Amino acid sequence: MADEMQVEMTVNGEVRSATVEPRRTLADFLREDCGLTGTHLGCEHGVCGACTVLLEGQAVRSCLVFAVQADGCGVRTIEGLSPSDGSLSGVQEAFRTEHALQCGFCTPGFVVAVTALLEANPDPDDEEIRDALSGNLCRCTGYQGILAAAGRAAGSRRGVQA
Amino acid sequence: MKPARFAYHSPRSVDETIGLLSQFGDEGKVLAGGQSLIPLLALRLARFENLVDLRRAAGLTGITQDDGAVRIGAMTTHTAVHRSEILARAVPLLPRAAAFIGHLAIRNRGTIGGALAHADPAAEFPAVALALDAELEVAGPAGTRRVPAHGFFISTYVSALEPDEVLVAVRFPAWTGDCGFAVKEYARRRGDYAMAGVVCGVQLRDERIERSSIAFIGLGGTPVRAAAAEALITGTAPGELDPAEVARAAVEGLDAAGDMHVTAGQRTRMARSLVRHALDDAIAEATGHG
Amino acid sequence: MTAARLVGQSIARREDPRLLAGRGRYVADITVPGMLHAAFVRSDIARGTILRLDVTEARSAPGVHAVYTAAELNPMVHETWWYMAGRDATYPPRFCLAEADVRFVGEPVAIVVAESRALAEDAAELVELDIEPLTALVDPDVARADTVNLVHPEIGTNCPQVMPAPDDPELDAIFARAAHTVTARFTQHRYAAVPMETRGIIAHWDRYGEQLVIWAGTQSAHEVRGFYARLLGLPENNIRVFSPDVGGGFGLKVMTMRDEWAVVMSSVRLGVPVKWIEDRRENLIASAHGRDDLMGLEAAFDADGVLLALRADHVENVGAYPYAGTASAGALVGMCLSGPYRVGRTGYGNTAVYTNTLGRAPYRGPFLMETVGPEQLMDVAARQLGLDPLELRRRSVITDTDLPYTLPSGLVYDSVTPAETLEQAAKVIDYEGFRREQSAARDAGRLTGIGISLCVEPSAISFGALGTEAAVLRMEPSGKVNLVLGSSDTGMSVATTTAQVVADQLGCAIEDITVTQGDTTLTPYGGGTQGSRSAVLYGNVAVLVAGKLRAKLLAIAAHALEVSPDDLEISSGSVSVKGDALAALPFSSIAELALVGHDLLPPGMEPGLEVSHRFKPLPITFCNACHMCTVEVDRESGLVKILRYVVSEDCGVMINPKIVEGQIFGGVLQGIGGVLYEHAAYDDAGNPLASTFVDYLVPTAAEAPVIECAHIASGAANPLGVKGVGEGGAVASPAAVFNAVADALAPLGVELRSTPLGPGQILAAIEAAGWS
Repeated sequence: MADEMQVEMTVNGEVRSATVEPRRTLADFLREDCGLTGTHLGCEHGVCGACTVLLEGQAVRSCLVFAVQADGCGVRTIEGLSPSDGSLSGVQEAFRTEHALQCGFCTPGFVVAVTALLEANPDPDDEEIRDALSGNLCRCTGYQGILAAAGRAAGSRRGVQA
Repeated sequence: MKPARFAYHSPRSVDETIGLLSQFGDEGKVLAGGQSLIPLLALRLARFENLVDLRRAAGLTGITQDDGAVRIGAMTTHTAVHRSEILARAVPLLPRAAAFIGHLAIRNRGTIGGALAHADPAAEFPAVALALDAELEVAGPAGTRRVPAHGFFISTYVSALEPDEVLVAVRFPAWTGDCGFAVKEYARRRGDYAMAGVVCGVQLRDERIERSSIAFIGLGGTPVRAAAAEALITGTAPGELDPAEVARAAVEGLDAAGDMHVTAGQRTRMARSLVRHALDDAIAEATGHG
Repeated sequence: MTAARLVGQSIARREDPRLLAGRGRYVADITVPGMLHAAFVRSDIARGTILRLDVTEARSAPGVHAVYTAAELNPMVHETWWYMAGRDATYPPRFCLAEADVRFVGEPVAIVVAESRALAEDAAELVELDIEPLTALVDPDVARADTVNLVHPEIGTNCPQVMPAPDDPELDAIFARAAHTVTARFTQHRYAAVPMETRGIIAHWDRYGEQLVIWAGTQSAHEVRGFYARLLGLPENNIRVFSPDVGGGFGLKVMTMRDEWAVVMSSVRLGVPVKWIEDRRENLIASAHGRDDLMGLEAAFDADGVLLALRADHVENVGAYPYAGTASAGALVGMCLSGPYRVGRTGYGNTAVYTNTLGRAPYRGPFLMETVGPEQLMDVAARQLGLDPLELRRRSVITDTDLPYTLPSGLVYDSVTPAETLEQAAKVIDYEGFRREQSAARDAGRLTGIGISLCVEPSAISFGALGTEAAVLRMEPSGKVNLVLGSSDTGMSVATTTAQVVADQLGCAIEDITVTQGDTTLTPYGGGTQGSRSAVLYGNVAVLVAGKLRAKLLAIAAHALEVSPDDLEISSGSVSVKGDALAALPFSSIAELALVGHDLLPPGMEPGLEVSHRFKPLPITFCNACHMCTVEVDRESGLVKILRYVVSEDCGVMINPKIVEGQIFGGVLQGIGGVLYEHAAYDDAGNPLASTFVDYLVPTAAEAPVIECAHIASGAANPLGVKGVGEGGAVASPAAVFNAVADALAPLGVELRSTPLGPGQILAAIEAAGWS
């Protein structure tokens, strides 16, 4: 295509590049061009949060960023938040313990959101957790396990026995 | 839902930006944070042949304070506004309003320049800009001009920006003395656009209200200043205020719209309640300093 | 049965590590070489005549391989019917793409197949579609009375189902002599399943193998296979359907839908794989909706407030193309109307109505009006009779001395505990304490309220094609075990729960068990995951098939160790003589005997370690729950805050308590969402108003109350002792929230009769009662 452009960014520590149309979202770049399908599309209009990734360390909705806008940037996806030895991160372990997922579709977005929350605010109270997670939708869990998992993950970071 | 095709441009300077916008006219659109624009493009409710991304244009970021005003670069994100210590001291209404904007992931990308230029009457920053008599720095082929907030918001999604102009910064005068501010909204869910909202500021001197600002979110085609109510308040001691009368005056003449969620009348009555709550909080904060 | 070791434990799910790390594989994540992408042209008019459809320009757009309309695809259709409704049900006209006219906004008119979704959407915009609008039928009360404007002229009426209440002089007499009769008509608005993953399908007509391969986000891979075999006139065993990871279904993903058929038929015509992922706008306006009921109720009470009789007239708005048949829940609602109460007699009439709106598919507890209607009426009755709603229910609730209880409809409750759940919920929420707090709050001008919803639910309804489930259990040479089920999991933890059951029954580590599902070639025919059936069907077939394998393991080991099977025990995947740990055979050794050293097997024994079993439960497994919630209503904004939410539920044995609670939590949020936030609304012209998540409001974590869940475990007539729990949360919650809001507004003289209860509706109700 004549209007395609070269983009290059560091995804989960690895330089990735592709030739894409400017209208290619960051979400589709990650899923299609990088083969990182852990980032999910639940609405493509920026409400459900299933597509949440870390762009330059900040949580963003990757369906509301064009790949060309992220050229030269650093991106971390759910795959990059998972330890390479196959174990689970503290946040992921908390999700598992608290039964914070059922179908798993919203889960990567929530894990990224909770990770971002705790990186910015290691000791959030219940209200702060609810507020921080109100931008991600779930239909299976009723949020109970997710809120408990966020609290547990915060507690472990505090070093408190959960 | 994938957007229609567009060509993408990433100018390095404001001048280059203006050059591109002049070239494209109606076929060009500025891309700032994209949090309002990209959903419209994805749903194909809007399309442009060219998007001009401001991310690399120099000189559009930064929050600086000089002689009684704070200047905020147009590409400053809502998160940066929310966390700014300068603004917390000098223009507290801005960080407080920022907390109401969507969710963190939106605030990390959305920009104050984008929000103001988008001119959505249901958004927070246009109401704050109007309430605080902000000045918008607009750059165009003929140079830079300053547009007062009361002349910037023309109608829903229509600002005073010409197709070949770009918003580069916004200046907020800092209030001094015993001030109090409040942002109050009724929204169906956390982070939703408000069904109705009020931003309010009061400044006291000698136990009287020396200055006040009340502006509405979501109560018309543009943000609306409650000038009649402000007139009632100014010069009055807080204890002498009749909050019900002030609230009534504030909503007089409002032209609210109805939608699937609430009727125009309900919206207006919500606004009346919110004025009372906002005024109470703002005055409490202002008198707390004394 | 063996001692429970894992059953009853809230062990962590085996599905989780993969899903948490982003290694789930949903239909959208699957790439098939040569795959093309589809997008649809859909009607934006609710009812009208197609004057012109020109796809010429679209066909030559960049990257386009095909554009198909009714002309190409509809003649390919052989038969269309779904297992749940059967071949002979009353169906609307069934064809793939709209032909001469359109009957709802969102109806698929053309399919574009191109090299990418973006290119397909670009081309779709080039299709020229002119529709002459006709008057759309949107209000079901209007549609049912209109004999001239017909949604489906071929059917001749807008009411595909009319089941008038039979004449019943005895019932009339009860009402005539009753001390009190209470009447109310309730509207339950339209809302929808809205799983986080939209629908999706990849169809691959492999013309070399002459096999149709389908990856579908479905709750029933076998239903999908059967449907397309009939649709295309293909042998059923020539079609292979995979359900990979599926991101929630809630009933939306049970029946195939017309746009999916178009994808499959496009693949057949083109001979290449075609993928379609529904976007969220399509999901909200063009997949299927749920609820949308009107129910007029009348209850007769004696002088002491004891419920004597109940009558209901039920109108269901099923849209233009319901899935499937009429999508009416009338039969179940009528049979279960008396719910948790001792009621002498009931009467029930039902009308299903077509309108020019999106068709209805079953949504989590589609029969819920059997609880919503009567429970909302009970609170109206309590206010009219001057009794507390809890006390009123106490006077008529079924207790254990009433069991077994035969309902007026003839169904029998063998084992339910509504009275116990009523008391447990009241205790946990501290009902009396709340009434005292409420009194003080009212004095201070605050509007707080408490609502009860007492529910008996027909779970695991097992008739016909949904009546059985099979399992195959195979031990490999290594001693590891493979459980094969006809399920298609969409989040209900089939793999973990059935593995818990098998691990306990076999006496091995859960890590040694894999569960295979979601593949019609590998798995036995099954109805899939729907209707709260997974624990009852898959749980029980797992325990039974594992019992068979256990018996064979013991028989082989007994022969090898020269003891009787009764002298043996199993633990940690090893069979040993009781009291002699050294006389032991690990599973791998027994497998070796079965598959390699089979000359040493007991004479006459079939070699190998593969067993299968098909289980048939009772036609209905009744379970029950009581939900109570407290709310505060803000007078100025009409916004509702849920203060506390308590569930007391009885689903019998819980294989995994946290998984059970998770099902309840999700259902409760869907009920809260339904009553307070979600509304699949239409304007008078039949245009959907909530076409994105900006207007269709799914509750978030900030709106979710803490849900407190208490349990009672009564017996169940199946080997595991389990009852269904998937739908209960969504069935009981709407009336609890509704009743709490009604209780909060009662001092203002407000009588609520409809949902949704958004701020607009609440403010209007307050104003209508004379307050500003």
